Amino acid sequence: MASPKTVPKDAQVMMQILKDMGITEYDPRVINQMLEFTYRYVTTIIEDAKIYSTHAKKSNVDADDIRLAIQCRVDQSFTSPPPRDFLLDIARQKNQTPLPLIKPYTGPRLPPDRYCLTAPNYRLKSLQKKVSSSAGRITVPRLSVGAVSSRPSTPTLGTPSVQTVGTKVGTPVSLTGQRFTVQIPSSQALTVRSKAPTPTTPTVQNVLINPSLIGSKNILITTNMVSQNSSSDSTSLKRKHEDEDEYDAL
Amino acid sequence: MAAVQDGPMELDAEKETKPEILSDGTSNLSGNTASGTLSSSPLTAAPAGGAPKMEDQQTLIAVLQFLKRNKLSESVEILRREAGLGEHQEDSQATDGSGGGKGDGDGGDANSLLSRVFITSAAAPQSMLVKKDQPDVSVVLSAYSQQGDPPLYQVYYSGLKNFIESVLDCHRAELSQLFYPLFVHMYLELVYNNHETKAKAFFDKFSGDQECYYQDDLRILCGLTKKEHLKGNEVLLDFRTSRFVLRISRDSYQLLKRHLQERHNNQIWNIIQEHLYIDIFDGMPRSKSQIDSMSGSLAGEARREVNKAKVFYGLLKEPEIEVPLDDEDDEAENEEGKPKKKKTKKDSLGSKSKKQDPNAPQQNRIPLPELKDSDKLDKIMYMKESTKRIRLGPENLPSICFYTFLNAFQGLTAVDFTDDSSLLAGGFADSTVRVWSVTPKKLRKVKSTAELNVIDKESDDVLERIMDEKTASESKILHGHSGPVYGVSFSPDRNYLLSSSEDGTVRLWSLQTFTCLVGYKGHNYPVWDTQFSPFGYYFVSGGHDRVARLWATDHYQPLRIFAGHLADVTCTQFHPNSNYVATGSTDRTVRLWDVLNGNCVRILTGHKGPIHSLAFSPNGKFLASGSTDGRVLLWDIGHGLMIGELKGHTDTIYALKFSRDGEILASGSMDNTVRLWDSMKAFDEVETDDFTATTGHIHLPDNSQELLLGMYHSKSTPVTHLHFTRRNLLLAAGAYNSQ
Repeated sequence: MASPKTVPKDAQVMMQILKDMGITEYDPRVINQMLEFTYRYVTTIIEDAKIYSTHAKKSNVDADDIRLAIQCRVDQSFTSPPPRDFLLDIARQKNQTPLPLIKPYTGPRLPPDRYCLTAPNYRLKSLQKKVSSSAGRITVPRLSVGAVSSRPSTPTLGTPSVQTVGTKVGTPVSLTGQRFTVQIPSSQALTVRSKAPTPTTPTVQNVLINPSLIGSKNILITTNMVSQNSSSDSTSLKRKHEDEDEYDAL
Repeated sequence: MAAVQDGPMELDAEKETKPEILSDGTSNLSGNTASGTLSSSPLTAAPAGGAPKMEDQQTLIAVLQFLKRNKLSESVEILRREAGLGEHQEDSQATDGSGGGKGDGDGGDANSLLSRVFITSAAAPQSMLVKKDQPDVSVVLSAYSQQGDPPLYQVYYSGLKNFIESVLDCHRAELSQLFYPLFVHMYLELVYNNHETKAKAFFDKFSGDQECYYQDDLRILCGLTKKEHLKGNEVLLDFRTSRFVLRISRDSYQLLKRHLQERHNNQIWNIIQEHLYIDIFDGMPRSKSQIDSMSGSLAGEARREVNKAKVFYGLLKEPEIEVPLDDEDDEAENEEGKPKKKKTKKDSLGSKSKKQDPNAPQQNRIPLPELKDSDKLDKIMYMKESTKRIRLGPENLPSICFYTFLNAFQGLTAVDFTDDSSLLAGGFADSTVRVWSVTPKKLRKVKSTAELNVIDKESDDVLERIMDEKTASESKILHGHSGPVYGVSFSPDRNYLLSSSEDGTVRLWSLQTFTCLVGYKGHNYPVWDTQFSPFGYYFVSGGHDRVARLWATDHYQPLRIFAGHLADVTCTQFHPNSNYVATGSTDRTVRLWDVLNGNCVRILTGHKGPIHSLAFSPNGKFLASGSTDGRVLLWDIGHGLMIGELKGHTDTIYALKFSRDGEILASGSMDNTVRLWDSMKAFDEVETDDFTATTGHIHLPDNSQELLLGMYHSKSTPVTHLHFTRRNLLLAAGAYNSQ
């Protein structure tokens, strides 16, 4: 550690603060990190306070502005856990319901698929850009929403396989196994630009998935073109059947 | 003046809300225009009267008000005549809030007090005019007393100190328990009412007197000097609103009460009534050592009735399994079994009697998953292994095999072993979870769907065929969390792994495919620990939001929320019968919760630091807990009492485990040692019926040295986890710390 003489004053103050709080052993880089945090926090607050004071048409920033700036920021950065009475309240509500009975012999006991991370979060691009031959088919872009993890997980059981493109022309390759889907007409789908690159024509098959993180919720939105008589359901069902097979066999 | 002296005590007890309003009034003066207009008249009147005379007048007016309020009209008339007060004067001047004829009975003191009130908060009297109608003297007085008179706090506290030092020895220890909560509450009140310098002075003067085990709390308090600091600090807010529990014998309590009431130390009495809960018991006063062993938690001790609920600590009956007869001896549980060729060895696991253990819960008290075939096979393996188990004891200590994590760079934050000790999982600060195979058998995952299509489903070894040999490896890494992983737990059937992390989620991983199956979101704050139930299906998690949650693997929301701790829940453990969950917390208490209805059935205090490890004895009767103070405490769950204290470790104890039959307790700590304790002896000594269950007093023998069977050092590797194999070999795990 640098000798006190060569350490800048800010760092000395920080070392003293750590000592006052009873922290005696720490990595030397902790001082730098603490100083950086302090600098960033104070700058943010003062900038906010300046904005508030100019809004109030004051010439100087005063204590009220700072106080307001702190109050506004505290909910964003330093959230504290809910207060005790609130917790006791929700605990009482939750604990009143009796424990649910366990269904026997149901295989792996997992929540509904929507809440699991077992769905694939990608889909392979189909090799053939074929126009759907059947006239009766209406391809409608369908928006599916599912919750996935913040990091792309390794491919799970439901690895889609590029199957039988030859037999069923115009079918997309597999689908997310989620039951919850929202149908939106194609015009609306085309306006959804930020989420995923939209298909230019309804007939083009390529679909791209953008596992974008939207805000703090990790929602994956896929636009995919599904024909009405899609084989997707059968694939998802088939996948589920395989799951059950594997688990039951053990 | 006698009336005034009694007044504050009774009135203050009733009007608790008013001081809050008034103290808020102090800080929100700018918004209080009404008070501004009203206050102008008394202020103009005040200088006219001259300072001392005015104050006397105020006092008398306050008295008049009080008498009027209590409808003592004749006294009112007499006083008015004698004091020469006119009717009009009351209305205009009584509004001035300094009518603080406080219970001192000393005129000079009253004047000095009043002048101080004027000085400290000149605006304060005005703010007491929040009520537009004639302000009550009671309001005035109570507000005055709550706002305090900062130097008086010191006087009160020193007065109490002198009193306690003067009582008999036997009472002194008990009454000294008062110091800490009173000190903290007085300090917090001073801070809350914005008397920063006075608060600091108060703190400096008296903080040194407090017990050593409160020093950490005091250091945190020392940094709190403004009201704004209090706002974000949930722990201190909880401290302020929850009642600190003290257990004092009746005699000592009578002494205290008499002293406080005759000395008119209203402030202390107020605080006692408002913030403290005194659990009185009849009997001998406790000694200092007894008190020291039980105190230390953030909310004082536990009330007696809290620990009176019945706890079913017995074990569930083992299910009857038909075992195919082998050459080897099999378990003895087969009550209606076929006649065996050899005499079966008596197995401590199987329960021979068909009668229900009165201390065991009903089989269907909580729904439990039924046994699958694979589970039954597991059980049979378990029985077989247990027959080969080594009996441990003081003469027969277990061998210890230490698994050292190299190159973890202090990133190892959680470890767990499977029950049959075949797999080892580590949670790391880089948000990964790694699973190793401890046996020579490698880790395999299930083949992909394409390959599964081609295998022969009818063959006998289909279970091996579905496994992918090409990617078999000794260890597998699981990615998914976005923060350090603080808790890992294997499921009893070795199919699942749970991990809890700082990102607020608990993840369920499949050990067949080594992928993540579910993320359970509920805690929005770091989850410090998670644990599967001994029967699978349920798991519990505890985190920074001060609650523990009970989940089932097939529900995305928790089934039970165990709320009640005052600070983070750092450690969670299921009881062997899966009907109860123990949680240890940073508020230095251990709580036992009932899974059926979420109630807290036991509160166990005595630790002086956050609790980091818990272990139930295999027979379900006892609980061991280890904390940062280096002590292991042993508790009898049935009675809710401390029955043992094992001193010896010098640093936080992160690992505690009982041997398979409960004869030895192993503890591992950050001081790089594993210690073995004789738990049989510790529990034997308290197997008496005439427990001090009514009063809850224990006199712990200081026998830590006798109970210590062995101490083993590792090479600068703190011990993170301990595990007894089914044959009673002790496995330990930790990350090598090169510093």
